[in-house]
Amino acid sequence: MIEAFFFGPSNQQVFAIYHPPAGGSGQVLTVICPPLFWEYMRTQLALRELAISLAERGQHVLRLDYRGTGDSFGDLGEVAISDWVEDIARAVREGRDLSGSSVVRLLGVRAGALLACRSAGASSDVQRLVLWDPVLDGAGYLQVLRRIQVAMLEHNLFLSRAERREAMHEYAGHRLSERMFEEFRLLDASAYSSVPKSKLHVVSTSPEAGFPVAGVPQDLTRFACNWENVSNLMMPKLVLERLSACLIMS
Amino acid sequence: MPDYVLTEEPLQFGEGGRLFGILTLPSMPPRNAQKLPVFVYLSAGLLHRVGPYRLHVCLARELAQMGFSSLRVDLAGRGDSPQRPGLTNGQSVAADFEEILGVLESRLGRLPLVLAGLCAGANAAISLTLQEPRVIGMVLLDPICFPDDGFRARTTVMKYTNPAEYIAWLKRGEYVAWLKRRFKALTRGEKQEDDDSADAVTFQDLPTREQLRAAFESIRGREGWVLSVFTRAALRHYNQAGQLARVLAVDGHQQFCTELFWPQAEHTFMLELHRRRLIEEIKTWAGNYIRP
Repeated sequence: MIEAFFFGPSNQQVFAIYHPPAGGSGQVLTVICPPLFWEYMRTQLALRELAISLAERGQHVLRLDYRGTGDSFGDLGEVAISDWVEDIARAVREGRDLSGSSVVRLLGVRAGALLACRSAGASSDVQRLVLWDPVLDGAGYLQVLRRIQVAMLEHNLFLSRAERREAMHEYAGHRLSERMFEEFRLLDASAYSSVPKSKLHVVSTSPEAGFPVAGVPQDLTRFACNWENVSNLMMPKLVLERLSACLIMS
Repeated sequence: MPDYVLTEEPLQFGEGGRLFGILTLPSMPPRNAQKLPVFVYLSAGLLHRVGPYRLHVCLARELAQMGFSSLRVDLAGRGDSPQRPGLTNGQSVAADFEEILGVLESRLGRLPLVLAGLCAGANAAISLTLQEPRVIGMVLLDPICFPDDGFRARTTVMKYTNPAEYIAWLKRGEYVAWLKRRFKALTRGEKQEDDDSADAVTFQDLPTREQLRAAFESIRGREGWVLSVFTRAALRHYNQAGQLARVLAVDGHQQFCTELFWPQAEHTFMLELHRRRLIEEIKTWAGNYIRP
């Protein structure tokens, strides 16, 4: 049975769901760092499936929503990358307290990979980071958000000029704060290189996907994720199996 | 979780705690809290309780500031509520609703309800309103509608008289693909595909016209209100403000129904400016329950 709760200071509470391990005792805690914006919605069901599968295989699992996203408190316009990095660190502490586990693994999905690596850094608290289709850097990701917004506006023939003008300030349907822009731009490949290579494992769904740090194991599990599609939910079974295997292996 | 104006509580309820939802309560319940309805957000398709682009979360929290409690729930098979094996979608939603009524009654007492939902959620709200006399309001985002007499003519006019459509079509270079398709169809003697044909919808039960009318009549009988919003995704079956009222022909429609046609909005209210406008509309509409 899952356990859902809020944690953190009263005005900045983060929502999380804890999946206890089948059988009650497990050594490893996996914290799932979800992707952002529309990718969060598209993967919610898949990441829940993954959490259940890991718990059935004996892991403690914690899924979190960053502040200003999902069920957590705050508005997107009030938060920035540094808050989300802090949320992951807090979730790790919370998960360790809850599970009693000393071995922590992180799964970072898309931009969640950048956040997970920035949060873990060189810290000895995290034993392994598995990254699913990691976003290479924040500046590039902002461009993707912009591209999605432009496409959305191009396809909508009913928008008035005023609405179109106003909507141009949005990124993939969201207004972001100046602080968020600045911190996104600062989020570069050093987030990945700050983590010891031996801890990283990348799972990609496209052979074209690169990773900025050489010598990191990279599995290819073909699946047409098409991350710029903003509507369809995804349930990539093979990718989930691969991620699960990477997170389970000792 | 505590906040200045609201608290939120994750709930696992129903048989074996199979259903998951989050209850939002105003920290300072208003004096007439015992009369105010509780908003229940039903899952939009397969999306979880957060709603499209976090719509349900924002709505629940803004309505709490007006004194309303809300439950955003994962119906079985969505979000964190497992499926009910062996049941049809309709049976499953009905079973979920029984458990929703139970948990709300145990937590808040026997209060009236407003059901809110997008698409499949809206259609579920219509069906559940017929079953449960406690429902005194519906917020329907892109619910089912039926064509009226002028529907086809309006569709044709809209299709061929919007210059922006031609410009966008040319810009996208789709005309080349279109010409190829037309050429193939002509040489093979094929009939052009009907652009208006609806996609198969398997995860929801569409109410009939009679059920839709009966749900509206029920709300009128219970002295409640209905807010319906149609986006451009509804253009296949709805294309003019007032169409729903004409189709239903329910007495006194204007006194208890607000019907909005927003062809500029996407089905899931992707743009923040549309979400913000929608939330303001719903808050204004919800004011009906507060006014003496």
